[in-house]
Amino acid sequence: MAARALAQCVRSLSRSTTRLYQGSVVARSSSALLISNDRSFSAISCSQGARRIEQSWISQLTRQYGGLPPLTIEAIAERVMYVLKLYDKINPEKLQKSSHFMKDLGLDSLDQVEIIMAMEDEFGFEIPDAAAEKLMTPEEIVQYIADKKDVYE
Amino acid sequence: MQCQRSPPPANVVHYQFLQRQKVLGLYRSMLRTIQQVPDKADQKYLRDWAREEFKRNKNATNQDAIRMMVTQANMHLEDLRRSLALAKS
Repeated sequence: MAARALAQCVRSLSRSTTRLYQGSVVARSSSALLISNDRSFSAISCSQGARRIEQSWISQLTRQYGGLPPLTIEAIAERVMYVLKLYDKINPEKLQKSSHFMKDLGLDSLDQVEIIMAMEDEFGFEIPDAAAEKLMTPEEIVQYIADKKDVYE
Repeated sequence: MQCQRSPPPANVVHYQFLQRQKVLGLYRSMLRTIQQVPDKADQKYLRDWAREEFKRNKNATNQDAIRMMVTQANMHLEDLRRSLALAKS
């Protein structure tokens, strides 16, 4: 019984990546040591070892995120304007920070929906419908994103 | 539900406002779904198609007709989602 559990444990260990190789060797030798001491405990200690290995594996897999440069109002404004300039129905020359999408730029409500979606993709968060339909100028979008991202001047 | 079927006259403006929101929301979820289509050319085709359909009916004022079109759009959306799920599996 204990031998079978150990075999299973070793199999699961050997399945882990080469990065873990050192760790698994340690665990294997430690569980082997425990067998010689006390057979009845080997299954428990083995599973503990597996758990320990798993934990270290998880911590190795944890991705270290680099911190983004802090958002500033100017950075947001720049990105917003950049996205808008790339939108094919907007004439980049006419685009001002205060220009109204429908009145000044001649877009329709469908375009406005698309713009808001592009902003969502750019800034990686969702803008609820109720707020989205009020955003009619680049300025308002910048202000909204700054509010949501806790950016203040 | 009752309100949807026969909006009282006093609330017509509000009702239209809600309906407008609904239609725009529909367009939004349409585009979101279309974004999951793997092929870029298909994506463009579907986007243009959705846009044309919405634009073609933008002057519709008959409440019943609008409601019917919303239902139809929902059906199309479901269709698209279903075939996407099938394509993925």
